[in-house]
Amino acid sequence: MSVPKLEIINLRKVFGNGSVVAVDGIDFAIEAGETVALLGPSGCGKSTTLNMIVGLEDPTSGDIRIDGRSIVGVPPGKRNVGLVFQDYAVFTHMTVFENLAFGLVIRGRAKGEITRAVHDVAELLGMQKSLKLPAAELGGSELQRVAIGRTLVTKPAILLLDEPLSNLEASARLAMRRELRRLQSEIGLTIIYVTHDQIEALSLADRIAVMNAGKLQQIERTSVICEKPDHVFVAGFMGSPPMNLLRGEIARDGAITGFRREDLFIQLPPSEIVSSGRAGQPIILGVRPESLRLALADESMIFGKVTIVEPRGPEAVVTVEAGAISLKAVVLASGRPQEGSNVGLVADPSSFVFFSGETGRRLAS
Amino acid sequence: MELDLKPLRIGSIFPAALEVCGLSKAFGKNAALNDIGFTVPEGSLTVLLGSAGAGKTTTLRLIAGLDRPDSGRVVMRGCDVTALEPKDRDIAMIFDNLALYPDKTGFANIASPLSIRGAEKSDIENRVAQISSTLRIAHVLNRLPKTMSGGERQRVALGRALIRKPGLFLLDEPLSSLDAMLRIELRAELKRLQRDLGATFLLATPDFSEALAVADSVIMLRGGRIVQVATAQSLYDDPVDREAARFVGSPEINLLKAVYEPANQGTIRVAGASIAGLTRLQKSLPKGGGPFEIGIRPEQLKLSPLEAAAIQARVFDVEPLGLKSMLTVKNEEAEMRLVIDADSARGHVVGDAVGINVIDGNLLAFDTVSGIRIA
Repeated sequence: MSVPKLEIINLRKVFGNGSVVAVDGIDFAIEAGETVALLGPSGCGKSTTLNMIVGLEDPTSGDIRIDGRSIVGVPPGKRNVGLVFQDYAVFTHMTVFENLAFGLVIRGRAKGEITRAVHDVAELLGMQKSLKLPAAELGGSELQRVAIGRTLVTKPAILLLDEPLSNLEASARLAMRRELRRLQSEIGLTIIYVTHDQIEALSLADRIAVMNAGKLQQIERTSVICEKPDHVFVAGFMGSPPMNLLRGEIARDGAITGFRREDLFIQLPPSEIVSSGRAGQPIILGVRPESLRLALADESMIFGKVTIVEPRGPEAVVTVEAGAISLKAVVLASGRPQEGSNVGLVADPSSFVFFSGETGRRLAS
Repeated sequence: MELDLKPLRIGSIFPAALEVCGLSKAFGKNAALNDIGFTVPEGSLTVLLGSAGAGKTTTLRLIAGLDRPDSGRVVMRGCDVTALEPKDRDIAMIFDNLALYPDKTGFANIASPLSIRGAEKSDIENRVAQISSTLRIAHVLNRLPKTMSGGERQRVALGRALIRKPGLFLLDEPLSSLDAMLRIELRAELKRLQRDLGATFLLATPDFSEALAVADSVIMLRGGRIVQVATAQSLYDDPVDREAARFVGSPEINLLKAVYEPANQGTIRVAGASIAGLTRLQKSLPKGGGPFEIGIRPEQLKLSPLEAAAIQARVFDVEPLGLKSMLTVKNEEAEMRLVIDADSARGHVVGDAVGINVIDGNLLAFDTVSGIRIA
């Protein structure tokens, strides 16, 4: 079996005098041609991880390997990794051509080689006609395209993108996402994509690595991670709105087993989790907003007051509160309830997901 | 008969929190605002929606008194405040670029508007506790701004503005510097806060999804003019023109060339297909027929077996969006976007031939030239 393109081995980064652990022993590997998104809230350690791969920070311990060789200690310029930031580093006093050529010029490449490489990249990015334009005349998404092109020209082994689209307007972001997907499929780049925006991660990555507080919570194929989060943090992070999570316990009443939280009791169908769990065992019940639907009082799982209705076009996100419990449901816009009204919510118990109340890990069903 | 015991809201008896009449403003030769007029009811959350340069910030600054209008009036609770200084207008303004006191703790920052006015210590403490728990920043009350994350600083700035109880809050893109996740979370909280306080909010944003999520009423601005005033849902269902339809909704609405042929059994030709039976649209189209532009929301197109489909096309792009996916398809006549379940999208790769049907529902029609809504 071939060596992974990039390996991250027990990587740690501690700042200050050991007081702040930014990256807390993470491991993952990326195959050649794969795109992996590092996703997490600000401060989760994703940018520090990226900086260590690029060489802007030295790891406290652990290893980073490209094609099987450690790059720790190798100066940033010699790592053969390309980095594109959210603040596009484009020289506005130069033309597009000069910008694209810059990386090769400072490496002292021959003029013919530079011209060829720049034209190749310009064609790839659809910028052949703009090569002579001063960069100062370009708009946001074109500038970002130049920034990416500048990096691609040097043919990096790995392309690192740090929130590359967050300075663009919404419509330009959509177009750039499509552009990046096309680039991936045409040139088979190995890409690490750092973002806090899960839509970008879902739309571009083969796999998503969700980070929280310096730890890697889960790395999983994009098509699977929304459906099968294996940690309660991932469940509470993925999805818009994310999964509803209710902390409670397993309760037994004769032959009936269920989930209890204060006054709320939800009967659960027989399953391994339910039958192997002891009464009183702390458990977290997860239910997706898309799995909940409005119901009459007598068939509902929870009956409460609609506190907020957030229309979003074809659907609306409805927040229902009953006592200390608050659930979000996604309903069709045409059937949305009034704010202030009382409604019931129900979900098919087969859509429930359970996590350990102690470790936060998903309980296999 | 059941009695409705909700408190009465009678807008006509009590003057509106804010009334703006015929407001215009030019900077040099450029007209930034052109004869703007609208009303913000007491206790409502009204949103100014528009892209950069539409006139949102100019409007807010004129209302706050930071700039003088060339013409027009700003009326608050029935009093003309156009000539008043900003400080005399009973308005709090929250900007995106947050200026906190760097040498003061979170608590002192939030409390500062009350401290300056010499409020009781216990009152201040109660208010700060309440606001900070709503905004979930109780943990930063003892910390200095430099040790807070961007999101925490933003919420402290919000808390500081909310702690006063002015007649009107002006919020200029208050969430735009936050993480996508936090933004979505906080906008629901902002709305809840506004309800709980019974405060009046006028919020400017370029983000239609934020506008839809929070607004009682949306005022859409374009090029310094008001183009539409509507509730959130009708802004999506009933856009006034092509631009408004395109601005609201993600993925963007499909705008396709179409021809209505009343003589040909009411057929509508679109995307290389002749479609009959779009009765709701047919009824409202001009009787004479002819070319127009049809607006089809991505959720109003569905994949169908090729032999049962009106439109045939090839898959051009598949964008996974979690539980849903966006499919872009193309044929000789048109490019279309569909939103479908991720499961059904997984079976399709770029280049696949697919069949598509149009769901007869809330289809829109626009004049090809002017872009004005015609049906």
